[in-house]
Amino acid sequence: MTGILDDNVRLLKEIFHKDMDYSLRTFELFQHRHAAIVYLNSLVDQEVINHDVIKPLQHYEAPEKEPLDILKFLIDNILYFNDVKKVKDFSTIISSIVQGKAVVFIDGIAEALELDVVTKEKRSIEEPETERVVRGARDGFIEHLSTNIALLRYRLPIPEFRVEESEVGARTKTKVVVCYIEDIANPTLVEEMKKRIDAIEIDGVLDSGYAEQFLEDNPLSPFPLLINTERPTKVVGNLLEGRVAVMFEGSPSALIAPATFNQFYHTTEDYNEHWVISSFVRVFRILALLFSLTFSSLYVTVISFHPELIPAKYVVAASSGRHSIPFPVIFEVLLLELAMEVLREASIRMPQQVGGALSIVGVLVVGQAAVQAGFVSPITVVIIGMSTIGSFAIPLYNAANTFRMLRFLLIILAGTLGLLGLALGLMVVVNHMLSLRSFGVPYMDPYAPFNMKAMKDSIIRFPFYKLKKRPSNIHPQDQTRLGEMEKHYTNYNFLDKEEREKI
Amino acid sequence: MKHTDSISSIQMAIIIASSIIGVSLMVLPRFVASKVGEAAILASVVGLLISFLSVLAITLLGRKYRNYTIIGCNRLILGKFVGNLMNYMIILLTIFLMGLEVRQFSEVLASGLLPNTPIEISIALMIILCALVGFHNVSTFAYIHTFYLPFLLIPMVFFILAFEDMESYHLLPIFGHDLSFFEFISGAFEMSSTITNFFVISLLIPYIKDNESMVKNGIRGFFLGGLAILYTIIVALGVFGVKELEQIHWPVLSLSRVIEIPGEVLSRVDAIILITWIFAVFTTLLSYFFVIVRGTAEIFRTNRFAFISTIMIPIIFVVALIPNNVYEIFEYVITIAKIVTALFILLPFGLIVIGRFRKKVGVQ
Repeated sequence: MTGILDDNVRLLKEIFHKDMDYSLRTFELFQHRHAAIVYLNSLVDQEVINHDVIKPLQHYEAPEKEPLDILKFLIDNILYFNDVKKVKDFSTIISSIVQGKAVVFIDGIAEALELDVVTKEKRSIEEPETERVVRGARDGFIEHLSTNIALLRYRLPIPEFRVEESEVGARTKTKVVVCYIEDIANPTLVEEMKKRIDAIEIDGVLDSGYAEQFLEDNPLSPFPLLINTERPTKVVGNLLEGRVAVMFEGSPSALIAPATFNQFYHTTEDYNEHWVISSFVRVFRILALLFSLTFSSLYVTVISFHPELIPAKYVVAASSGRHSIPFPVIFEVLLLELAMEVLREASIRMPQQVGGALSIVGVLVVGQAAVQAGFVSPITVVIIGMSTIGSFAIPLYNAANTFRMLRFLLIILAGTLGLLGLALGLMVVVNHMLSLRSFGVPYMDPYAPFNMKAMKDSIIRFPFYKLKKRPSNIHPQDQTRLGEMEKHYTNYNFLDKEEREKI
Repeated sequence: MKHTDSISSIQMAIIIASSIIGVSLMVLPRFVASKVGEAAILASVVGLLISFLSVLAITLLGRKYRNYTIIGCNRLILGKFVGNLMNYMIILLTIFLMGLEVRQFSEVLASGLLPNTPIEISIALMIILCALVGFHNVSTFAYIHTFYLPFLLIPMVFFILAFEDMESYHLLPIFGHDLSFFEFISGAFEMSSTITNFFVISLLIPYIKDNESMVKNGIRGFFLGGLAILYTIIVALGVFGVKELEQIHWPVLSLSRVIEIPGEVLSRVDAIILITWIFAVFTTLLSYFFVIVRGTAEIFRTNRFAFISTIMIPIIFVVALIPNNVYEIFEYVITIAKIVTALFILLPFGLIVIGRFRKKVGVQ
């Protein structure tokens, strides 16, 4: 840039002259020196510019002897502003203007002042829709990155908590932060994460989901290899275990790595409730997961290939209503599964007011009528209902989607090859899951490789006093989670008055 | 060879156990019983001990030459020409073993689970399933074995329900009736020749982290798998007795039909056992396939595992279709398995001896 104000202004004008939100305000510094402030009025806080920038600059009486370094003088003495920088390079100036900063040019000086006056529209903090809890904190991330970081800092007021910034997206210039706790997270993991983020070359990142597909070890796999969450408590919990979280400007969901399959049936609430109850619930979640994956295909194969598996007492119940069905059972099941998927998709896109009506019409009326018309058998409806409900009980939405999709593969295999097909299909799925790694961590840890210590927080969540170590599969630097605790309680009830007072 | 992944010796033990529990479990009781009669239990123990020699030899060899697979050892110790000849022989024999194994599997399936499905389909599917596993990571191979091992042991639990049908006179006398020593030993050899695919560990040696405890854990793994097989033989013999066993093609399948779950949750347990047995067969076949793919890759010094496993699919498929009927399968199996047993016992021991003789010490 040059030292002549008019030249600079003209250059900027050439770039921005078509934009309605481009603002240029000229004023005189020290009553004699021309100056101008340039900003995009859609992004900045105009109040701040008026009161904290223009007002003091115009008002300030010219010092008797003009200071040598005017910009430094302005920063040190005049501007009531905390985020001020001197900039020289014209392209930096332009990029900071489009990021919502204001730039002050002064005639005769080949440098400019950059003021961070950006305000971004943000919504209020709400509970995340997809990860509800009964007991636990209700706050969720929003699109505004610094608010999200504040939510984490609020829970981790320690100097070891690192929030490293970088940028991704050639055109969106999306801010990314890598969060970790310096003395817990393994440095190799942090480096690997930063390396993978830096390697992303894409025009825009509109949500963490864009980047997720670049960060995964195996992008072809249908299984999620990073956890996404909108809950600050979940992020903090994972950071404390030694994982690394990544957050993107404009996206309310944080990514956590490395992820193992184990975590897909865990919720933050498990740690808030009593360990027996949480373990119990986890067992049900596993069952739900298995239901959603195999129930309909098991039904298909038993009815169409291996009716001998049904105990004699139940044969009538299982086959009643089947005699009038025109289709083979595999078509019946596929048809209903498809209808269920359509219904689910429709109820997501519907306005909420209509959604309730849709599910009543879709499930009750159509289902009932289809059974009465002899189109599908009642037991098929029950089976499909079970497997669909099962898929809703999986805490992570994207993991649930994966299992729902794989269900179709299993139904087709079971319908063509019977139990062998089902077993083969399951083996293909399991073998694939066993071959996955998330940031080098085996996906099926602690089941394979078998890891007794990590088993303490898998299907059964042991009480906290048993969870002395952080999960060893992510190799945290600091292994121990619990300090030495003395279990020394005084039984207050049986003390007499003197003894109580003594204590 | 530079590699980043590794397995522990405990995982190696698991691989041994889940490799030897396989198709042969279905037929072993009949094989042994028809040869040695009531002495089946004792013959099985002796047979297991013979196989155990091979495990011992392989692990000892591995401890000595810790950076070489058996393929590399052959080249190193026997020289390029003889070594490669041995290597080709290993691969060829393994291809035959796998083909026959998968054929037996589909015959059992046809008689037990899918009477109307052509055996060619189940053969092809099983081979393709093995080929779908990536062979780049040795650790994945170990994880697969680890994950399926509990499922392999499920039938063992079910067999407890068959205890009430066991007759002690079926098991006695323990030395058999008028058995010559030669007959006894050939029965024992039969036993040991059907469980040869723990040989896969000889291709894993460079990847094993804790080399020192390899021999110890190898013994443990073999003990676990051997115990499961012995247990099955005892239960099958106890329930059916020699005379009946000789008549039944697939004794363990029949055994699972005998079992009734109290409470009538399922009317037939044999389907469940068959499914877990499919897992067992898969892990066994996978071990064979691992030897074939990784071995071939090492012979030709490439890393194109996907390419090799694709080529191997039709080859094994054709081999599997060579025998004309169940009886021929057994003949083939017995003949080939005898060569394999001899090779797998003599080769590692021979390598150790020749290696010492030639004073070539493996790179530590």
